[in-house]
Amino acid sequence: MMRRFLEASVSILSWLCTLCLLLSLFTLVGFLFFKGGSSLQLSLIFGNTAPLDAILLKRQVFEGIFPAMVGTLFLIVGAMCIATPIGIAGGIYMAEYCSSKIQPVLNLAFDILAGIPSIVVGLAGLLLTILLHRYFRENIIPCLFISSCSLAFLVVPYLIRSTQTALESTAPLVRQTAPALGASQIQNIFLVLLPNSLPDILSGIILACGRCAEDTAVIMLTGVVATAGIPSSAWGQYEALPFYIYYISSQYTGPDELARGYGAAIILLLLCTTMLVCSLWVQRKITTILLYR
Amino acid sequence: MKKIFFSLLPSITMVCYFLTFVSGAFASDDLAPFSGQKGTLRIAGGTAHIPVMKEAARQIINYNPDIQISIAGGGSGLGIKQVGEGLIDIGNAGRQATAEEIHKFDLNVLKWAVDGVGVIVHPENTIQALTSEQLQYIFSGKFTNWKDVGGPDQRINVYTRDEASGTRKVFWKKALAQGDISLKASVVVSNGAMKTAIAVDPFGIGYVSVGHIDASVAPVALDGVTPTLQTVQSGEYTVARGLYSLTKGEPGGLAKLFLDFIVSPTGQQIVADKGFIPVK
Amino acid sequence: MICRVSSTVEYIFLAAAVFVSLLTAAVFLFLLFFGLPLLQSGQLTELLFSSWSPGKGVYGLYPMLVTSTLLAVLSMLISFPISLGTSFLITSLAPLKIRQILMGAVRVMTGIPTVVYSFAALFLLVPIMRNIFGHGTGMSILTASPVLALVTAPTMILFFVSSLNKVPASYTLAADALGGSQVQKLLYVMVPQAWPGILNGTLLGFGRAIGDTMVSLMLAGNSPAYPDSITDPARTLTAHIALTMAYDFDSMEFKSIFVCGLSLYLITAILMLLFRLMTSHVSKNL
Repeated sequence: MMRRFLEASVSILSWLCTLCLLLSLFTLVGFLFFKGGSSLQLSLIFGNTAPLDAILLKRQVFEGIFPAMVGTLFLIVGAMCIATPIGIAGGIYMAEYCSSKIQPVLNLAFDILAGIPSIVVGLAGLLLTILLHRYFRENIIPCLFISSCSLAFLVVPYLIRSTQTALESTAPLVRQTAPALGASQIQNIFLVLLPNSLPDILSGIILACGRCAEDTAVIMLTGVVATAGIPSSAWGQYEALPFYIYYISSQYTGPDELARGYGAAIILLLLCTTMLVCSLWVQRKITTILLYR
Repeated sequence: MKKIFFSLLPSITMVCYFLTFVSGAFASDDLAPFSGQKGTLRIAGGTAHIPVMKEAARQIINYNPDIQISIAGGGSGLGIKQVGEGLIDIGNAGRQATAEEIHKFDLNVLKWAVDGVGVIVHPENTIQALTSEQLQYIFSGKFTNWKDVGGPDQRINVYTRDEASGTRKVFWKKALAQGDISLKASVVVSNGAMKTAIAVDPFGIGYVSVGHIDASVAPVALDGVTPTLQTVQSGEYTVARGLYSLTKGEPGGLAKLFLDFIVSPTGQQIVADKGFIPVK
Repeated sequence: MICRVSSTVEYIFLAAAVFVSLLTAAVFLFLLFFGLPLLQSGQLTELLFSSWSPGKGVYGLYPMLVTSTLLAVLSMLISFPISLGTSFLITSLAPLKIRQILMGAVRVMTGIPTVVYSFAALFLLVPIMRNIFGHGTGMSILTASPVLALVTAPTMILFFVSSLNKVPASYTLAADALGGSQVQKLLYVMVPQAWPGILNGTLLGFGRAIGDTMVSLMLAGNSPAYPDSITDPARTLTAHIALTMAYDFDSMEFKSIFVCGLSLYLITAILMLLFRLMTSHVSKNL
């Protein structure tokens, strides 16, 4: 009797829990769209500057989130340029070359790196900047480059992990065919294993992009500012969407600014969820595309 | 939608060029030194300064899009420190830099506005005047209920600024007579954030640059004097301070042009428009 | 020729892996290097066990340490049952169609930026909390914890689901053959088999909760006092770093954040070590 009751209650509670989760998710997201939906216009992005002028960098946007969007884009590109080669190379090493003796050590190191709170990574970036500024070159300041490095740092363990898992999960049949035909290990990796696990690696990369786009704590310590315009070089300060949202949330001066904050939040939300859906889609679809080519 | 947009594009561009032309035509000579200039200017520090800095930057950038100006907050402490370290070009401070700071970093100080620090509450709060003693009791945590000062039976929510804040330093020194600020107080990171917090909290109390006080919050008279531009200017309201901009050594290049612009008639008009008292 | 190329390439791969693992150590050494003067002067216990009061020259981190732990524990208390329930539904209790939809929703949830959650909660949840308490600012540990739970839940759900799904088919099929219902199979076969994975997922979730900055920075009120109750505003270690980094680089306030960083690093590293130990222990036993 007791057990029957337990079983029934587990089932009901599970449904209740899920309902609770989805309800709170929809309440928050719905609230965001309800309040900010009306601000989703071209003027949200470009303010009162003509879009074409802004995109061609003829004039700077002041009352829009265009600089923040460009800043976030730069951050993603910069961080991924640094992180992707290192991450994939590291992942290949872990999956194909690593001896079983050092693998646990490296694994632990990557896990710890993946677990370090992003604000600590940002702090390390800030300290590095201060050191470089004091002892190396005067003109090194917190900037886009430092932020990209720190973000790369944050996502590299994910990339290693996803590449490693992708390679390790290759079917033995696929893995062993080329060597059996006389291919070297390097040929096997580049011509067989990597193309074969491309969808998983790519989806890992897109996920990492999403992480770069959303992280606030790292960039907060390494060079993002409230107003900067489009950065002219990697050594300049910049704006970014997540920081813009944080900044507006505490210091909006009127309903206009608050509306822009809601708009920015919706855009960041859409950006990140789109990337996530893309990564899931890539994982499923590219396999079929490659197979049927 | 796209089609409409593209067909409208030429006219939008035209309007913009027209606007550029018009604003260029009306721009005073104060902006002229910026023509032909190029480069980046980094400004950080005091948060009371931000509205003025932003407006000045907007005018300058509209006049000459080749100039980049980045503006960050962080507080007066940060502004002084970072300009001293050479991390930024202009550091803003809402308090006087100490002799030690000036000496250590070889700082050059420019005062371009006078401001006060006023106590604010929610507009619906019935309390509109406090004595210094009451204020000290509230901020030190000795009074925790509005009825202690004649208000409704509600807990007082005290808001304060972070330790890097010049506004906090001035308020602590001149309004609280260096008395304690309760650790229980909620901490916000800028003048803008303080105003926002008080505007949505019916039982909150905080302090903010007088230039930031608007209809969303209500100023509280301190010992009978309401903090307004006039009372600060006349010297009646004593919790006053200057707004400073600092550079490392003599300002040069864009920093000099920018500071010259702030103290020019156009710049000082911006200062007045944003609710501060111009120095000229 | 090919041999030389391949060994060069192998060294490049090795270099990448070693570089990243060295970075892990480098972050730690970096924090240690900057924090060393404080640690050497024997102020460590004072830093860890006294209150934060810069005006009096006391830079203790005890209130932040307590708040961080309290907030993480509280959010785990909310997110653990929710994640467990949802993962039950996804693995077995719900109809197939709903399982797929739920799984998709949870995966997408992992991508929602923390700052967006916090932004929405700041304008929705904080006023509600203020009305409920009837006093205070509405920003408190209690306000931040459900939002933090929402942030950590998707990761935990995905982890729970994968460890429940890893239960060998021979077990689950046996349960089916004995005529057990879905709930019975779940409760008496899958959960006992998958509990180490569930524990591991909880460890991961806890690590994320304690390391999150934006939720506590935007919703917990940031007052550096020791929180007397969970309805008090309070400041976490992460928020403390974010708020204090603006300060003078040579000041004690600024130096104290290295100790913050070190404690956070150590806490998460220990959690990860536990996680690794558990994982290897489980894989040995299976």
